[in-house]
Amino acid sequence: MNISEAVERISHKIEAKGASVDRQKIESRLKRLVEEFGVNVSEAERAVMSDLAREHSLTGVSGTSTELRQIGELVPGEWVTVEGKIVSLVPSISDSIAQSGIIADATGAIRFVTWARAKAPVMEYNHWYRIESAVVDEYRGAPNLKIHSGTTIEPLDKDIPVIPSFTPVKDLKPGVSSVRVKIVQDWEPLHERMLQTGLLGDESGTIKFTIWKEEGRERLEADTVYNIYYAMVDEFNGRLSLSLNTAMYIPDEGDIEVGSTETQVAGALVHIAPGSGLIKRCPVEGCNRTLSRQNYCPVHEIQPNFRYDLRVKGVLDDGKRARNILLRRDLVEELTALTLEDAVSIAENNPLGMDEVFYRIRNALLGRYFSCTGSEFDERLLANHCSILTFDPAELATLLNRAGGEGA
Amino acid sequence: MTRRQIPFEREPARRVFASEFREIRYQFKESDDEKSPTYALLPSGIRCNRLFIVGTLTEKQRQGDQNVFYRGRVVDPTGTFFIMAGSYQPEAMQQLAKIEPPAFVAVIGKPNVYETPDGSFLVSVRAESISVVDRETRDLWVLDTARETLDRLDAFGTTEDSKMAQEHYHMQPEAYRRTVYDALAQLQI
Repeated sequence: MNISEAVERISHKIEAKGASVDRQKIESRLKRLVEEFGVNVSEAERAVMSDLAREHSLTGVSGTSTELRQIGELVPGEWVTVEGKIVSLVPSISDSIAQSGIIADATGAIRFVTWARAKAPVMEYNHWYRIESAVVDEYRGAPNLKIHSGTTIEPLDKDIPVIPSFTPVKDLKPGVSSVRVKIVQDWEPLHERMLQTGLLGDESGTIKFTIWKEEGRERLEADTVYNIYYAMVDEFNGRLSLSLNTAMYIPDEGDIEVGSTETQVAGALVHIAPGSGLIKRCPVEGCNRTLSRQNYCPVHEIQPNFRYDLRVKGVLDDGKRARNILLRRDLVEELTALTLEDAVSIAENNPLGMDEVFYRIRNALLGRYFSCTGSEFDERLLANHCSILTFDPAELATLLNRAGGEGA
Repeated sequence: MTRRQIPFEREPARRVFASEFREIRYQFKESDDEKSPTYALLPSGIRCNRLFIVGTLTEKQRQGDQNVFYRGRVVDPTGTFFIMAGSYQPEAMQQLAKIEPPAFVAVIGKPNVYETPDGSFLVSVRAESISVVDRETRDLWVLDTARETLDRLDAFGTTEDSKMAQEHYHMQPEAYRRTVYDALAQLQI
């Protein structure tokens, strides 16, 4: 936004009311506010506009004169005026926030926050409002509409249905989105405030989701397609996740063939790293960190009531690339035929303790060929399935043909 | 997101038959940095800083008094790998001490090329770890190594490493193809 645009807008508005005004006068007033007093341009525009309106005894000219913008095109760092429908309201998490939720028009939706200090009128669910001079900033990587004391809110008398369009999961980016998905994995919540967490997917891919406990919030059912409207896509550590607390989700007919984002790798297990085998985990809810041998958690200090777990941190190597891989308890038990209970009893009764479990697992797995599928996080493959490779005579025949194909 | 530097990439363990491995003569480094890895260049045209072999341990020997180390011979369908494990490879040394030949073993290690004063070359594997495996794993390794070797021969002359190999070795891809064929043929018996 620059001064000359503001001059244009002000003079336009005044001329539309049948009055005439000197553009240079507008410009010099604006410049004075902006350059001498350090007022930002939209605030200066508002001040000059209301001054002039008073001087010319004009009514019905609102203080700010920003153009109406489409919600789908807002980017952080702008002062904007939008008209939209409140499609979601979220309970406030802090005293300094009066109201927050999602406002949408035909082009898109954005999260909004009304600061308590703004003393703005309370907006109602499913009603249309014109919001003038709000600020778009960025919150957790997503655009966010901030309603402050300089913002004006006017209820609009219209009721146009807003129909959000669905975004394929692989095209999601931080912000508000609607998706048509099915639940793929239901994980055990690690936090008592969490109602449900897991993986959702459509044909294009999968994404992690979370529903926090809240009155009236329901869990998603397995094997059901949902139309989820106005969920928040957050970015954390470069990964996206979907928060459904702002969303409305409705079961729908039909089925979805969820696209796989899993990676499959076959190779030899060439390294089993320290920290594999029997480990102790922090019992504090939501922590689950690995404890040192002295039962020390990096966050919760000494935890004598740890729980045991089995895992393998290894390297699966196909001769071209060495890939870090993590096998969880169920896979370790399956591949080594050593159960967690056996491992605990070995650790407690053997002079080598937990090392003995490590050696047994190493002897069972190291140097053998496996095929594993799983998802890749942080340069590591978290295996969901893993099986030992077996000799395939057809492969031998193919290779013999390749080697002897010409002149052999 | 600028938080992540270039992640450390572990060197892949190459698959190579003993007959090709013992032909290694040329070693190089990418930079003068002390920590930059040393690569042995395989004649079929790929750099090798680590290898994975599966074969039959036919013999092992304890050597040295002060600095104990173990030597072993691991046989594949094409020839013999000489493996070593000393006090700098404690894991491999202790494992090797326990294994009684003959046994199918999987060895992960680094190539080591030594030129004797009279100009002959000793190419061996400095083992990082050794474990006892079964016959099926050995057979899978022969398939795997055959496939990897054929892939390299098919790409020979097109990759940077294979052009380097052309300069340093008198490569006859057909001879290597023949070796691969013979190695595979032994599996059928």
